Amino acid sequence: MTEATSWKETLGSRIPEDLGREIDIFETQIGLRQQDKLDEIIFAETRLRRGAYGQRYDNGQRFDGSRTQELNFPEGNTKGPNTAWHAPGMQRIKIPCGGLNCAQMDTLADLAEEYSDGICHITTRQDFQLHYVHIEDTVDLMRRLAAVGITTQEACGNAVRNVTACPLAGVCKTQSFDVTPYADALARFLLGHPDMQDFGRKFKIAFSGCRDEACGLTSMHDMGALAVLREGKRGFELYVGGGLGPVPHRAKLIEEFVPAEELLPLTQAIGRVFARLGEKKNRARARIKFLIAKLGIEEFKRLVTEERQLVTEDPLWATTLEGIESHSEEALRPGQALNGMNHLSEGFRRWQETNVYQQGQAGYAVATVNLPLGDITANQLRALADVCRRFVKDTVRTTVEQNFVLRWVSEADLPDLYNALEELDLAAPGAGTIVDITACPGTDTCKLGIASSRGLAGELRQQLSESFLELDQAVKGLRIKVSGCFNACGQHHVADIGFYGVSRKIGGITVPHFQVILGGRWQENAGSFGLAMVAIPSRNIPQVVTRLTERFVQDRNGNESFQDFIERTGKREFRSMLEDLAVVPAYEEDSSFYSDWGAAREFTTGDMGKGECAGEVVPLAHFELSACEREAFEAQMSLDEGEYELAYRTAFSAILHAAKAIVKTQLLDVPDDADTIVEEFRRRFFETELFFDAGTAKDKFARYLFRMHETVIDDYTQDLAHRAVEEAQLFIEAAYACYDRTTSVEAAPVVPLLPK
Amino acid sequence: MDLQRINVKFYLRDGEAISPEEAFRIFNSWIPTTADEILVDVADYSHIAEAQQALLVGHDANYCLDTTDGRKGLMYSRKRPVDGSIAERLRDAFATTLKTCARLERDAGGDGIRFRGEEALLIVNDRLNAPNDEETLAAIEPELDTVLRELFGGAETVVERNGDAKQLFSLQLRARREFDIDTLIENLS
Repeated sequence: MTEATSWKETLGSRIPEDLGREIDIFETQIGLRQQDKLDEIIFAETRLRRGAYGQRYDNGQRFDGSRTQELNFPEGNTKGPNTAWHAPGMQRIKIPCGGLNCAQMDTLADLAEEYSDGICHITTRQDFQLHYVHIEDTVDLMRRLAAVGITTQEACGNAVRNVTACPLAGVCKTQSFDVTPYADALARFLLGHPDMQDFGRKFKIAFSGCRDEACGLTSMHDMGALAVLREGKRGFELYVGGGLGPVPHRAKLIEEFVPAEELLPLTQAIGRVFARLGEKKNRARARIKFLIAKLGIEEFKRLVTEERQLVTEDPLWATTLEGIESHSEEALRPGQALNGMNHLSEGFRRWQETNVYQQGQAGYAVATVNLPLGDITANQLRALADVCRRFVKDTVRTTVEQNFVLRWVSEADLPDLYNALEELDLAAPGAGTIVDITACPGTDTCKLGIASSRGLAGELRQQLSESFLELDQAVKGLRIKVSGCFNACGQHHVADIGFYGVSRKIGGITVPHFQVILGGRWQENAGSFGLAMVAIPSRNIPQVVTRLTERFVQDRNGNESFQDFIERTGKREFRSMLEDLAVVPAYEEDSSFYSDWGAAREFTTGDMGKGECAGEVVPLAHFELSACEREAFEAQMSLDEGEYELAYRTAFSAILHAAKAIVKTQLLDVPDDADTIVEEFRRRFFETELFFDAGTAKDKFARYLFRMHETVIDDYTQDLAHRAVEEAQLFIEAAYACYDRTTSVEAAPVVPLLPK
Repeated sequence: MDLQRINVKFYLRDGEAISPEEAFRIFNSWIPTTADEILVDVADYSHIAEAQQALLVGHDANYCLDTTDGRKGLMYSRKRPVDGSIAERLRDAFATTLKTCARLERDAGGDGIRFRGEEALLIVNDRLNAPNDEETLAAIEPELDTVLRELFGGAETVVERNGDAKQLFSLQLRARREFDIDTLIENLS
């Protein structure tokens, strides 16, 4: 029998010194928190910076379908308001560029088994997440990761998050050059860098090797680096200020060509400007996209250029990039074409059609392991590592579509690889197609989730898989992405068909809905962002997909893309086509509408905040907010038609009318002029915080109204109008949520009825 | 040896008798009605064929409808440390699993479900303290024998270790004759 020892002793020098020291500090902090000698807010920041999150049930209560019960955690300690600080939570694990070797896969499998629920989940930013991990176990978990070269440091918090890159970087046919070593170098350089520690919010970086493919999705990142060659010299077209979230921003070009050796210092300068001038107090406006929107890209660029001159020369700029141009990956086996297709099974052919990409290097291919909902069991992952050892040489990556890719597979080995994967139940075809649905964790585990994104994605995946073979080729190629709320972790804005979770109160009962998003473009590095069209009850979403795809097949012009088809047909037509699906039957008629997909209980948003009770219905408010939604949709139509001023004004009108609808719940005779509506709204719903989002957005949505009311616009640009349309929809959603809360919470503060 | 993180699984006589969806619904109903431990969440992994398909997450232990080894059963997974000798910890793990199996048998609808009392899987979910080797087996074998004699009322048993070094330390336990869950509970009480 091996004498019991600790992982720290067992792993010893295999843990890099700096990471080991970091983990030791965290262990001490956990000890101090256990003894109540460390303030919970400070502890929260320290654990978040190491990727240890609270989970949804953590707010100390759980709604079971009929009542909310307090979870009686021992000791009564809290992690945040009403949250058991040591309740099992989620551990995020950073995987720069998604790059993994087989030893790392083995370790991740072991950790999922020993500390989590036996499931490794791949996120939409190439990270791993393990759920239900006890805080006391995170220290050993981190040590075991560190011993195989993985850190969780800065996986969350206001820091540089995982640096992502196209999973085909280095092997694709259209790249300028392999961005992998640059992404990796930047990730290493920025980890714990003193200039990157004082941000008001997170900072996400992505790398792309080429412009036209989806690649690294550089347009939707705080900083995106697109590889370009200029007279044979490597460099990057650098973009800043992109991001999804409630209101997506397209990144702006800051430099047309940043020589490779200038990438690290320039990023450092960008970080310093963001740290110095970025918003710190108002979390909802603290991403760099807001700073750039405020300053304008030219002024931001001037400040960065100025800052670059002030940054002290760092030898790491050069040493981190040493030998980078000679970086290469090795294949395990000689490249050989796949010949003699006759004996190959139908299953293999179907898999090959969707899951295999022929590399730029002759005789080699990339094989995608298509995971349902981004989940893989510990046993599957360990066995997959062994399969990788047979066919490739540590050239595995995770993808933002929540899959694995195995690179450098000799084409001649593909049938054997398929057979090996099939034995592990990992040979599902359909990678990158309509069945390969991306979803954030949603209400399953995320505190901010409103509806069950995983539940819906699982249902759609199952239904579409059953009919996959019969689907038209054009439909097979579409992408669906689902987010549990407006925060867009499921990247719904860049899908062909996107959904995000909202709720509506029908007859006093909350019903899960999803907003339908059309017009997004995955290609061209997230080339365009879609807009919300109509909220449909969760139960009817599969019918939305059926109707949209059938119409596409029926009306498509030649090889027309889905985006072009949407634009040509017009969103008005789609809205009218889906409108009957927005109707929710009475509870007595069909109670299934009142539960979410994959949920055993009736739907609630009560476990997002405090308490839950059915409220009285005020049909007038509902009716008026519906009218506001229609107005917001009109704004979207104007935007699509290039009428930017009209789009902006209509969007503002929708916001103003939604504010009025909410004010009306306290003051029936609210006058119709904008100044009075805004003033009454401010007094009754802003100053009382009744309109504040229960999640992290807080006062964000209310401020849309104030800003638009106060701002005089000279130039109605497309960007401005697009943002106004997004904000209108979000304000209306917030108004629905506020209405639900204020009709549910007893003794909500009510300002006297008479206007001032 | 500090034997912690003990998992025990009993298999269903008819794996088709309960679906992951049904187990998920039942587990969810246990959260507000369980007084003696803290149950916090349910998780649905029914989209994976061999997994903890319906998982009931507790603060100290998890319970799941498990198909990880290709056969459906109820798995108890202790997460937080427990006191006592190795025998006491093993006895506690078997007793808790059996109690949960009996509860699931009671709560399952339709024609009901029955567990195979004569076969169990014992896993120690701790590679540091219990690597999957003969030394670990030797360290726990004497006390395991005592508990198994008690559990199976002295019936002959076969203990087989999974030899794959990458896997957790796990033992397949088989009694030579059939048992139902209630008898095993009685034997341990």
